Amino acid sequence: MFTEALMASIQQGNMQDTVGWIFQLIWVLAFVFIWIYGQRIQTVLMLKEIEGSLYKLKVMRDRGRQITISTIKEVGKPDEDPEPRVDRLLEHVDIEPVTLDPTGVIRRLEHIINVREFKLRDEVRQMAPRADEMQINNLANVLETALALNQIYKIVRHYYLMGKKTLSFYVILQIQMILPLIMRESEAFISALRAFTLGQPIGDGAGALVAARLMQGKEKRIIAQDTVVSEVDIEGRKAYVIKARGPGGNVGKPGEAIRQIIEEKEGKIALIIIIDAAQKLEGERPGEVAEGVGAAIGGPGVDKYKVEDIATKYRIPLYAVLIKEGIEDVISTIRKEIVDGVEEAIERIKRIIREKTKSGDAVIIAGIGNTIGISQ
Amino acid sequence: MGGENEVKRTPIFLLTVALLMLVMSLAALLLAIGTYMMQKTIDLVNIVLSSSAIALSLYLLIQIRKRPKRLDFETSKVTTVIRCVNCDYNSTREFEKGDYILKEVGVCPKCSGSLLIHSIFREVKEKSSK
Repeated sequence: MFTEALMASIQQGNMQDTVGWIFQLIWVLAFVFIWIYGQRIQTVLMLKEIEGSLYKLKVMRDRGRQITISTIKEVGKPDEDPEPRVDRLLEHVDIEPVTLDPTGVIRRLEHIINVREFKLRDEVRQMAPRADEMQINNLANVLETALALNQIYKIVRHYYLMGKKTLSFYVILQIQMILPLIMRESEAFISALRAFTLGQPIGDGAGALVAARLMQGKEKRIIAQDTVVSEVDIEGRKAYVIKARGPGGNVGKPGEAIRQIIEEKEGKIALIIIIDAAQKLEGERPGEVAEGVGAAIGGPGVDKYKVEDIATKYRIPLYAVLIKEGIEDVISTIRKEIVDGVEEAIERIKRIIREKTKSGDAVIIAGIGNTIGISQ
Repeated sequence: MGGENEVKRTPIFLLTVALLMLVMSLAALLLAIGTYMMQKTIDLVNIVLSSSAIALSLYLLIQIRKRPKRLDFETSKVTTVIRCVNCDYNSTREFEKGDYILKEVGVCPKCSGSLLIHSIFREVKEKSSK
């Protein structure tokens, strides 16, 4: 009896040992497998993540194209189908000027920007013959947004397919790391399409809104292409308030406008204040107002260069008032907090003028940004 | 756009590996439980390894089967604020196509002054963050 029980126990023990060994072996093999193929598994998972985002980007790109075409048809009432022309424009490429010899690069860049703007508006004009100037500007903005969405989609797809082809961890890692930012930006572009189609003011127009408030009810004149100026009395000083001509979507030529006023006044300007939207850092409140010095003008740098150049020539102090906003707010319909920030910015401008200039001085106040949905 | 057809493929090999790992780790866990029931001894190494393998394989399966994010785009309510240039009259309504800031939209019912669109904005409900 005892012997049988002992044998059974030994046999059971042996069997369990064998099963244990088999599992040990399987685990060792599994660890070796993960050790060798771990990075590849991670690569596949990352590709899967990019694939989901790429699908979403494709939907956004298609929606952008479809909105562009339907808006052109609705607003411009074209005689011929705008689809082939839109598709051609969505593949438009800008080639930056050569910087090997940096002499005159700003002038060359400005020329390319002007040609691009002219070409885009001309194409829109041809596609939408019954659209007025304001609608043409807005349609050009819609087209540019669709173009941006198309470019983003194609770049992400390029890295995705390249990563898939090479299975290179580092190729995939590059796009995977910045994917959340790309998605945020793309979602902002989709919101922008709605704003541009309806002609709603956008977050980027915060500076233009400040200028519009200051020049409200005053006489205006064109000072540069798509840019207006108004002479306003603020705290006993003569202020030249500049903004892009609205309510169509455009940014004007603030650099050229500031240069012209300073030249007209032969440099007798006590202060230049530039108001613009600035990207907020995470944790900062949208609509928060900050002050600084320098030319607060975004974009490719042509206007910024012109302002810095002329201000330096005549030694005019440059002040900046910034209205903070998130990347997703810049091209989306303006938020209430940013509109509240505009009111605060006006108070700050008045305070700066009081503190830094004397009664009777001349100052320039430039509201920078896309003036869509904002008149003057 | 040749590459687009490849976009929605499920990695079959990885799926098989993850499923195999899940089955094996479940078997190992059951074996550890069986040992405990019969011999009243706890095979700690086996339990830890099999539970971690179950967790890892489940994670892999969830990642593989994860659907693309929802494709609905948020549209917020946009408000137009109208103010009289002479008195304190102001009214608010939903944005209408053709509205823009400083557009004249009628006559003030209080003082017959001009009514201008003072501002247009969207209100954003902040998602609560911990």
